[in-house]
Amino acid sequence: MRYVRAFGAFWYDFLVGDRPELFVGPIVALFLAWILVRGGIEAGIVGLVLFAAVALVGAFSLYLTTRPRA
Amino acid sequence: MQTLVAAVPAFLASVVEFVEALTIVLAVGVTRQWRSTLIGVGGAVVALAVIVGIFGTAIVVLVPIDVLRLVVGTFLLIYGLGWLCKAMLRAAGAKAKHDEASIYQREIVRLTEEPPVPAQGMDWISFTVAFKGVLLEGLEVAFIVVTFGASAGQLGPATLGAAIAGVLVLGVGASLHRPLARVPENGLKYAVGLMLVTFGTFWAGEGIGITWPGSDAVLLVLLAAYLVLSLVGVWAIRTMLEARRAPAPARARQ
Repeated sequence: MRYVRAFGAFWYDFLVGDRPELFVGPIVALFLAWILVRGGIEAGIVGLVLFAAVALVGAFSLYLTTRPRA
Repeated sequence: MQTLVAAVPAFLASVVEFVEALTIVLAVGVTRQWRSTLIGVGGAVVALAVIVGIFGTAIVVLVPIDVLRLVVGTFLLIYGLGWLCKAMLRAAGAKAKHDEASIYQREIVRLTEEPPVPAQGMDWISFTVAFKGVLLEGLEVAFIVVTFGASAGQLGPATLGAAIAGVLVLGVGASLHRPLARVPENGLKYAVGLMLVTFGTFWAGEGIGITWPGSDAVLLVLLAAYLVLSLVGVWAIRTMLEARRAPAPARARQ
């Protein structure tokens, strides 16, 4: 059980680490893009939306890291 | 083109990770015992080769390409955004740069506090620290080799790119006998982060059904767009930090 927990902790640290928004954000961005694809929106526009969403996730994470703390 | 797509990111990422692993190995070898250290390194390399061989082959053979690209693309996006954001913070001065020389010194101090090396036989501390260091740094390489290699259908070139990086870094490290502090690690991490995010967007997009206009050529557009945005981000963070550090009267004048 200890090894299973350590294995899980390793992968959590490897993929999520101390920035959970960088784990959740891309998944949400891809889900939104998938909805647009299913809705028949043109591929180029969906690609642009995906790119913008990924950039926003990065910007949000950088904002959280650099914002002044009280 | 596909060969380069797999080999170049694997090579660059591997240079970064092998430089970090080399620092640990040198610190252990110099402070304690080279024989046990090198056995630890050998054990980790074999473990990594098995991981890449088993997972790489299984993924290529068993998983349909669309599913593979969606899963791999998502992982690359997650992982790449992490690398890129950290590299941007370092470039902007918001995070300390990776400094192999100081890491090496810290590691030496830590290792000298361990129990002494046994007079005969294996030094398990040297073995364990070297094995763990190379395995953990190498797992990141294995992750990139397997994901890029499998998605581009070029597992061989990706492995070759990583192997060349390994031989190069270890060769230079062995001849110099000190950590490679002059390798532009932060710049390399920035470049690899950009590549991971670019390919992650492309492959995950294909996985959810996007037919990219211009096919593979759109990769260059995505790379350029992410590069420009990230540079703007670095500039914005740097400007914000400078404004925050400026004394109050100077801030009032702005």
